[in-house]
Amino acid sequence: MLARRLQPMASQARRLYVELIFQVMGNALQAISEIDEDVQNEARALPEGFLFEMMVMPHGASLVIEHLGNGRFRYHGSEAPRPVNLSIQFKHIAHAFLVLSFQEKTSVAFANDRMLVDGDIGYAVRMTRILNRLEAFILPRLLARRAVKEYPRNLHLPEKLLNATRIYLKVASQFFDTVRA
Amino acid sequence: MSSTFYEFFCPVKVIAGKAALEHIPYELAGLGGKRPMIITDKGVRAAGLLEPVIAACEESDLDIASVYDDVPPDSSKAVVRDIAGVYRQEKCDAIIAVGGGSAIDTAKAVNILVSEGGDDIAAYAGAGVLKRPLKPFFVVPTTAGTGSEVTAVAVIADTEKSVKLPFTSSFLLPNAAIIDPRMTLTLPPHITAATAMDALTHATEAFTCMAKNPLSDAYATAAVKKISHSLLAVMDNPKDTDGRLELAQASTMAGIAFSNSMVGLVHALGHATGAICHLPHGLCMSIYMPYVLEYNLETIREPLGELLLYLDGPEAYAATPANRRAEAAISAIRRLRDALYKKCQLPRTLKETGKVDESQLDDIAALALDDGSIMFNPREASLEDARAVLQKAWA
Ligand SMILES: [Fe+2]
Repeated sequence: MLARRLQPMASQARRLYVELIFQVMGNALQAISEIDEDVQNEARALPEGFLFEMMVMPHGASLVIEHLGNGRFRYHGSEAPRPVNLSIQFKHIAHAFLVLSFQEKTSVAFANDRMLVDGDIGYAVRMTRILNRLEAFILPRLLARRAVKEYPRNLHLPEKLLNATRIYLKVASQFFDTVRA
Repeated sequence: MSSTFYEFFCPVKVIAGKAALEHIPYELAGLGGKRPMIITDKGVRAAGLLEPVIAACEESDLDIASVYDDVPPDSSKAVVRDIAGVYRQEKCDAIIAVGGGSAIDTAKAVNILVSEGGDDIAAYAGAGVLKRPLKPFFVVPTTAGTGSEVTAVAVIADTEKSVKLPFTSSFLLPNAAIIDPRMTLTLPPHITAATAMDALTHATEAFTCMAKNPLSDAYATAAVKKISHSLLAVMDNPKDTDGRLELAQASTMAGIAFSNSMVGLVHALGHATGAICHLPHGLCMSIYMPYVLEYNLETIREPLGELLLYLDGPEAYAATPANRRAEAAISAIRRLRDALYKKCQLPRTLKETGKVDESQLDDIAALALDDGSIMFNPREASLEDARAVLQKAWA
């Protein structure tokens, strides 16, 4: 706890940032699953009611997503309604920050042992691909290049602009809904 | 791809070389083991490989309390439960696995049950479930390929639910791996070839995939050098003890490399092919390796080019311009495959195996996309990419 007293602002800012990005990703994941066929096709292989969680160890911020069936996701905020089926856990808030500030690719973070998978590896591989596609959609191209292994070839600029705008809009509206609720 | 961060872990004592088996009694005594159980399969027993192990122990007054020699090629929950029952009945206190991947994986799982209690191995499936060391455990590999003696993983089939249960924990690692050239001296040619190609794939993928790091690189390159140096010599002269030892050590070194750096698309495709077409794992590796390297080429040009030094020797490396080395490395692997085809008809394409139908390629591609190894492949392989690689490997 000493370090927190020494560097209160930096540590808290990092925490807030991770929480915020989890919210953006959660909302965007739900939005993208309603419009993007690639994501839907990937997600269809997940069982209905499948709960996916991304969290920071030991009990930090988290992001919970449910597969409603037919490739659609619902964002559950940070609380899972029941035990999750697949959990991807960052070992430390610093590692979550590296990945979520797009300084380290998700696949590199796995390769670097920054996070653990609890659950079926096949589903984890699938969720990683979905997260990669999400990042390619919601981030500017330059940033996305750094975040994902390979920039999707079928994500051309007009489509990207179009879809990204739609997602941002959806994210924004869902944010307002959340704030109001 | 340079690594800015990595972890490397291998706490297995390696006991390798001539008369290595004779170190078992001393090493086991050091861990307090007095009544070891041997876990092996019928093939190992039939090949006469148990005798030197048992003799080495008995000459030092270490009695083998029990021998279970009926591990099937695809081990299951029931087998693990049965062996654990025998272990308890015979009041054993240590395990010696003698065999290939299946015997070793089974022994790892048995060690969980006899150390932690219970009859249902499924209760321990997953990562990080185990929290403390298990019973003393030695591995004596009888193939030179899987590297299972240095991996912290075991896979056991749940035949009722027809799923494969993965177990991951550093506590699964044996206390020691005993590499004795006598154990691989009688391996038939096509198994020698296929398992060596598995080891070569472990080293090559560890060296070219995303989790590569300086320590595993050192093991990977040394393994590649030993295999390309000794494999064909051993194929020509199966009783070449020195060559056998080189291959066995290379397999362990490649195992250390990939257990720290992971593998990639060759393994993802190979696991899927094994599940659907029941082709031996090493054979799948040998078939897919050049095609996957070609697919990954532009992202792995530098490390792959570096491998030419270990695949083909310093003269060939020096004579090849830097920008052609990656292609030359792939050619060297193709030449090795051609030589193995000549010596023991080890298939080079899926068609040559005679056991795969072209109509199965779609299913193989789909299954490969769900394999954990694909995560560490340097290129993000899509379904179409995987399908295209399979098509190239078809004929
Ligand atoms: Fe392998």
